[in-house]
Amino acid sequence: MPLSRRDFLLAGTAAGATIGVGVLVPLGFVLADDDDANGATGASLATFPRARVGSVSSLGVGDAQFFDYPYEGTPNVLVKLGERVPGGVGPDNDIVAYSNLCTHMGCPITTYEADSHTLGPCPCHFSSFDLSRDGIVGFGQATQNLARILLEVDGDGIYALGVYRLIYGHADNLAGEDLVVVSEGV
Amino acid sequence: MAGTGSGRVPLPPTDAVVKTTVCEYCPVACGYKVYTWPVGDEGGTSAADNALGVDFPTTTLSGRWISETMHNVVRVNGERHNVVVLPDPDADVVNVGGTHSVRGGELAQKVYTPDGLTADRLTKPLLRVNGTLVPISWDMATDLVAELSTHTIAEHGELAWGMKIYSYQYYENVFAGSKLALGAIETPNYSPHHAPAEGDDVPGLSDCGIDAFSAAFADDAAAEVLFIAGSDPYETKTVRFTTWQQPGGATIVYVDPRRTFTANYAENSGGLHLQIVPGTDTALYMAIARVIVENNWWDDDFVSQHTASRGELDAEGKWRRVEFGRSFDQFREWITSTPEFALDRASEITGVPADKITRAAELISGGSGAQPKTTVLFEKGVYWSHNYENTAAIGNLGLLVGASGREGRATSRMGGHQRGGQKAAGYPIDKSPDEYDGHKLEMDTERWLVQGNTRFRWVVGTNWLGAMGATDALRKAVVELKAKGPEVTSTRYETALEQLKAQIDAGGLVIVHQEIYENDSTPYADIVLPAATWGEEDFARNNAERRLRIYEKFMDPPGEARPDWQIFAEVGRKMGFDGFDWPDTNAIFEEASEKSSGGRRDYAALVEKAKADGMRGHDLLRTFGTTGLQTPLSLEGGELVETVRRHADLQFNSDSGKANFVFADWDAVATRNEILGPDPSKDEVWVLNGRVNAVWNNMFDFVRRQNSVERWPSNFLEINPADADARGIVNGDLLSIESDGVLDQLGRAHKGGFTAVAYVSDIVPPGVTFTYFMYPGSPANNITSADSSLQPLNLRYNFKLGKGSITNLGPSGLAESMSFAPRNLAPGASS
Ligand code: SF4
Ligand code: FES
Repeated sequence: MPLSRRDFLLAGTAAGATIGVGVLVPLGFVLADDDDANGATGASLATFPRARVGSVSSLGVGDAQFFDYPYEGTPNVLVKLGERVPGGVGPDNDIVAYSNLCTHMGCPITTYEADSHTLGPCPCHFSSFDLSRDGIVGFGQATQNLARILLEVDGDGIYALGVYRLIYGHADNLAGEDLVVVSEGV
Repeated sequence: MAGTGSGRVPLPPTDAVVKTTVCEYCPVACGYKVYTWPVGDEGGTSAADNALGVDFPTTTLSGRWISETMHNVVRVNGERHNVVVLPDPDADVVNVGGTHSVRGGELAQKVYTPDGLTADRLTKPLLRVNGTLVPISWDMATDLVAELSTHTIAEHGELAWGMKIYSYQYYENVFAGSKLALGAIETPNYSPHHAPAEGDDVPGLSDCGIDAFSAAFADDAAAEVLFIAGSDPYETKTVRFTTWQQPGGATIVYVDPRRTFTANYAENSGGLHLQIVPGTDTALYMAIARVIVENNWWDDDFVSQHTASRGELDAEGKWRRVEFGRSFDQFREWITSTPEFALDRASEITGVPADKITRAAELISGGSGAQPKTTVLFEKGVYWSHNYENTAAIGNLGLLVGASGREGRATSRMGGHQRGGQKAAGYPIDKSPDEYDGHKLEMDTERWLVQGNTRFRWVVGTNWLGAMGATDALRKAVVELKAKGPEVTSTRYETALEQLKAQIDAGGLVIVHQEIYENDSTPYADIVLPAATWGEEDFARNNAERRLRIYEKFMDPPGEARPDWQIFAEVGRKMGFDGFDWPDTNAIFEEASEKSSGGRRDYAALVEKAKADGMRGHDLLRTFGTTGLQTPLSLEGGELVETVRRHADLQFNSDSGKANFVFADWDAVATRNEILGPDPSKDEVWVLNGRVNAVWNNMFDFVRRQNSVERWPSNFLEINPADADARGIVNGDLLSIESDGVLDQLGRAHKGGFTAVAYVSDIVPPGVTFTYFMYPGSPANNITSADSSLQPLNLRYNFKLGKGSITNLGPSGLAESMSFAPRNLAPGASS
């Protein structure tokens, strides 16, 4: 089922307001059926496509596979962490995917250190991201977590359903005019 | 609201208001553009339809992408406006092309939002009544401050009236505050945010005749060898590293007890990491110098022409230079006859392998080949351990390799803060009670306060009671002082004034805290004054390469908050002093320019030119945008001339115009290390503290940012896997760090401690741990000593030399949610 942007609106952004020693669970995918207060202008995508991006049987622990989504030429990384995480899919709840465009200034990152689940260091200014913690900037200069791809598993197929958080370069993830949308998977 | 996760940000429309500003945080001071426009409007994704003039999606490294945290909603003239704070993509200095760090990149999260994470800004003056802070009017607040000040000075003398204030802030605020304290009241009871006393932070370097901010960032890029000590430039001066040092391609020799990012970067790219035992810098630098001297590798042209002879030193007017200055011959004799500076002995002391010491000497001097362009850079790890000796030793090393005054050749601090510390008057040192060997020293204001001598203290823009050494002992003394005299029981002016005066006269202590947020010091305040800050007033400041720029106002201050200068001015007027009637912040900027004359910050020529052109000083500065001007400035033929680097004429800060070597007493260092260092028989380890990449200082902004709180939901203690295993510690365990040898302000040993979450990492070697220096609620300074008599030459704390033993309190609950990812992954690793 394709999801519209408003399905991805975050419930409770103030969750990060705790001061001092306190437990903050990474926000993960908190879905809310809310109106989009900002109102879309000029979006070329009404909804995110559902696209097959990998298969459970061919993704080993520590592997990093790359795929384009939601547009051709917009790269992402798919990994099996080997550790159950919030929002992880698959039989072990450990498969996650993120845009691998660095949220500092957009360089694609292809180095993955499986032991620490770290994507990076980015070749441009050396930011690195913790894929087991919602794509947080483990170390470096990026100003937001990596955009996260919402996944589901259907049989052996791993499917992308949408994008949570802004993809580098975009003002609106659904306003990719002149870009070719990745075709919907089976 | 940050709106994180929404997957879109509004674009500034073509008619958005654009202002020029500079990052608020680190001394690099990257240039930013601020776009504001009414909520409801929005630009389009094609270049013609938005103020950035680019099509969206933008391209890699465009500098024109607005991340979700670069946007916010603020009030401009009372109306809701979108704000985008974007690193200036057109910058051709500092952050060329709009690069930035994580700290500055999220500046839009700093601003006041009445319905967001910054809603708890201080918005009204407050008076503590029956233990609770309650709102009062500005008029009453400044009446109280003025009356209590006048009373304190009249009854107890001006030494009983103290001000604790940022040294680094905007010109306008530092000038106004110091005009009141130093110029009008003339008290020596005045000290900066980071030290118990006024005075030079790097006296050894200054005694060498070297300006502490002599380098330009272009020198870092032009250098062939960079010797960097005591601060990780990637982590804490980020853009200086990513834009200047790293692309410049210099071979990096990096000194740090921790294997940080820059340590790995240096080793992976042909340089060296000298992983030093804490507190042994002097031995390391002088051992390197000795290798250079013994091999005849020093820059003989520079040393023979530009360093002073003994006769020249004896004629110097500054006593420290006469006493500790050394000619080259004396220097050579000293370092080659000091056993601890011999290669093998120094290797034992510093923990740095002898071959690395030799290799470092060879790299920075060029060995038997040509002298490379070498730049020597350092910061707090050097001067907040053994202040005088380390700063002298690193200055000596710079002189030996001719690192001064020429492109790619400098010896310089990298800076801790930006640089707006132009004071309005000199420090009245003759009134200070402190001295060394018959020479007056600036007052240790914390010792003075603990002794009960300060009756009124105005704390401005700093978390005083988290930032000093032995900060728990200081708090305890404050609590005892505050128990003297009657409590304030009413907001009625006459009642409150009488009760506060009675506290002062009873030997108590009245505290005024002027801040933007409450912090660890506010619970002890009697009066709280809400300050307006960055973006809420026009200000100016320099960066670490002396680049002067304007920080424009773009939004309303919260509630009744006022810029600091206005508060000082009103109190000054109410106390009956002249010269506090500035109409606006520009008037102070212009007045301060006169005092800057002849110094490193000299911008008198800018104001002179502005006046000649019929302009205001701020307005002329505004025309230079984020590029600004490098001070000192002069006027030639009506045009402004900048100073790219200091000592370009190879004239130094001494009477002779020559630089000189300086004696650094290793025995004094070794004695201090005995007192301050860990005792292995008590299972103690070094507990170092410092900054980390993702947050800034006392975290005033960063506890109010979703991203930084998710990254650091707790303070942490980096601990080596071997030390962790030995204590059964795993990532996420809550640790109690305790030391029973912390020296308080009076030199008495006591027990101090703090709590932090274990971060197991080989970034620290066995026996060394590291923590954030000022995480709210986890004061690392509870275990750093405050006995300034340990460093009698210059009253600075040994912040970097903490010790403690560690007790595991069990899981913190953060193991599953906090990231324990490596923080030192550098490219090109061979393993
Ligand atoms: S490097 Fe320093 S000045 Fe530049 S954006 Fe980061 S914190 Fe601000
Ligand atoms: S683009 Fe990745 S760190 Fe700058």
